[in-house]
Amino acid sequence: MDNTIRIPKIRLGSREFDAFYIWFAVLSLGFAFGVVGAYQVLRYGLQVTGLTDQVPWGLWISIDLSSIALGGSAFVFGVIVYLLRLKRFEVVGRLAVLLGFLGYSTASLVLLFDLGQPLRFWHPAVFWQSHSLLWEITMCVILYLGILVAELLPVILEHPVFSEHTLIKKNNFFKKISEFLKKLSHFLHKAGPALAVIGLSLSLLHQASLGATYGVLSGRGLWFSPTAPILFVTSAMGGGTALLFILSVFVFRVMRPGLVADKTLYDVARISGAMMLLCTYIRLWDWAVTNYYSFDNIVATQKELLNTIAPYSLAFWIGQILFSLIPGALLLSSKRVRNLSKYPLLGSRFGCGFSLLARWTCREGPTLSQVGMAFPALVLFLHPGDIFRTANSYAWDVDASQNARLRDCRLRCL
Amino acid sequence: MTDENKKPNKTGLPRKGFLAVAGSATGALIMLQASKPTKASRNPSGAEPGAHKWGMVIDINLCIGCNYCTYACQAVNDLPVEMKYNKVTLEETKTGAEFYLSRPCMQCEHPPCVHVCPVGATYVRDDGIVTMDYDLCIGCRYCIVACPYDARVFNWKKHVEPNAFTPEYGHPEVERRPRGVMEKCNFCEHRIDSGLARGLVPGIDAAATPACVDVCPTGARVFGDLNDSESPISKILASTKTPIRLREDLSTEPKVYYIPPQAEVTTSSEEEL
Repeated sequence: MDNTIRIPKIRLGSREFDAFYIWFAVLSLGFAFGVVGAYQVLRYGLQVTGLTDQVPWGLWISIDLSSIALGGSAFVFGVIVYLLRLKRFEVVGRLAVLLGFLGYSTASLVLLFDLGQPLRFWHPAVFWQSHSLLWEITMCVILYLGILVAELLPVILEHPVFSEHTLIKKNNFFKKISEFLKKLSHFLHKAGPALAVIGLSLSLLHQASLGATYGVLSGRGLWFSPTAPILFVTSAMGGGTALLFILSVFVFRVMRPGLVADKTLYDVARISGAMMLLCTYIRLWDWAVTNYYSFDNIVATQKELLNTIAPYSLAFWIGQILFSLIPGALLLSSKRVRNLSKYPLLGSRFGCGFSLLARWTCREGPTLSQVGMAFPALVLFLHPGDIFRTANSYAWDVDASQNARLRDCRLRCL
Repeated sequence: MTDENKKPNKTGLPRKGFLAVAGSATGALIMLQASKPTKASRNPSGAEPGAHKWGMVIDINLCIGCNYCTYACQAVNDLPVEMKYNKVTLEETKTGAEFYLSRPCMQCEHPPCVHVCPVGATYVRDDGIVTMDYDLCIGCRYCIVACPYDARVFNWKKHVEPNAFTPEYGHPEVERRPRGVMEKCNFCEHRIDSGLARGLVPGIDAAATPACVDVCPTGARVFGDLNDSESPISKILASTKTPIRLREDLSTEPKVYYIPPQAEVTTSSEEEL
């Protein structure tokens, strides 16, 4: 097997660039941007975010919630590889675990900067309030991160540096460490099925709880939704797997061609497409139920208010139905799309891009955030402070429900 | 020896070790929960549990919208201008008559904010007051999202300016809260606790009564013990035909009651709203 990693070249006219360095530069830029934002938040407090008591959770909550969702492929493939024992997915499964680890650690880091008291991040782990969904999510994320590390470690420890380094042969201490790591790796690998089961339950628990975080807010008519948990679980499975598909196409087609059969990649796409269509189907029923109950005073008032501020219904049909229906169908029939298309990869990649949009819009279904939610990248070109203010304006739905709440107070009073 | 016989020996020991470590870690954490340091400090008045149930009645007919309650609250609780525990808004009945609605925290019996707090930083005291533990709060703001009454305020920045409402409306009686914690109206619990310790009766003696009640120029606000049938608040509630609580459909059971505009009650029956 060809063991070298191929880095694609980008051609501009007659010149050729190494894509790795360009990608690295982009990443560094993003990182520098994040450091500036983090400094501002830590130094001046959450006032720089432009959030208010009326809009206490802004766009970035949605972003880091979606990074948890995009890590959703880890538990899907943990089950496929360790419980269903489908050998051909083993290599893709490793990528899924890495993706899950990145997604979850990103979310934990971002959430740190969203706390009013970042130094008290450890409080939920010590001061339990087990009625709180947020507490449950925190605990699940902490434990699941541990599981992901345990699943990831054997893969990392396979690297020859842990078994063949010259220091290991020379020094007895390093030799012992190397032997221990080998045993640990073996044990963790053996424990794979158990880890997969625990990981699956933790994932389902907190992905559902993320939905319920919004779903239980009975004071907010349009957020309150018994369907939110199942919507969040299915959208995490669909969206996470879609991201995995993009990455595995890149990794196993471009960087390490031949390592994974194309058939397996199409299966990944089909899993993602199916989950996405399932999510859309449930979302449609959720929509129907919300409308059915719209004689309810609060729901009616809030819907009316939303429609005065923005084309709510249009945005729903385009952002939440169309944007998940099209990529869902594309991914589900990815093999046929490939055969029909002149540019096979392009077709499926478009599907992936759309599926990410769907991910965001689906995810935000219960919060009724709109298509705008799917373009946080546009915001990146603004001043850091402006980002959060822009986030604010995207969160208009929160504002609307707040107004509706007050209006309802007044109706109720008399 | 066949492979099948070998297997349990190979993995049996580490699995046991793993279970032991995981089990003892979980046990230690659960033990830690039993000995939470905050439990004892949560009954500062020293009164026996359930002896009092503090409540408030706001008579909308008497409210003139002067905002003194808001200002006195901001002076006593040392709040910046933009942070208000108590909000006064101009509202309108269905028939078009205007009135002022002043809203402190409703001090719910089943507060949505308390249920959602991930660290238990906000809690219901034995006397029914919903209050905050500023040392526990991590500033996640889930409670502000959950509150249907818009009663909670967050410290978005550090409060450094001098109090704008001192000395006209009173003097700060509590410590300033740090940046990044949530806070809310707590019926001036510091006044109630120290008043009870000195033998005063909250709702009757001004020193033991919330600042907003003391300052109200028309007496629109009445504070007292809902458990005591002889307290002024219980008498008013007993004599009012239709006291109203906000958003009763949410089953939060607020302890702040409103006496609706009399003209409206007699002319229309809009209770089904």
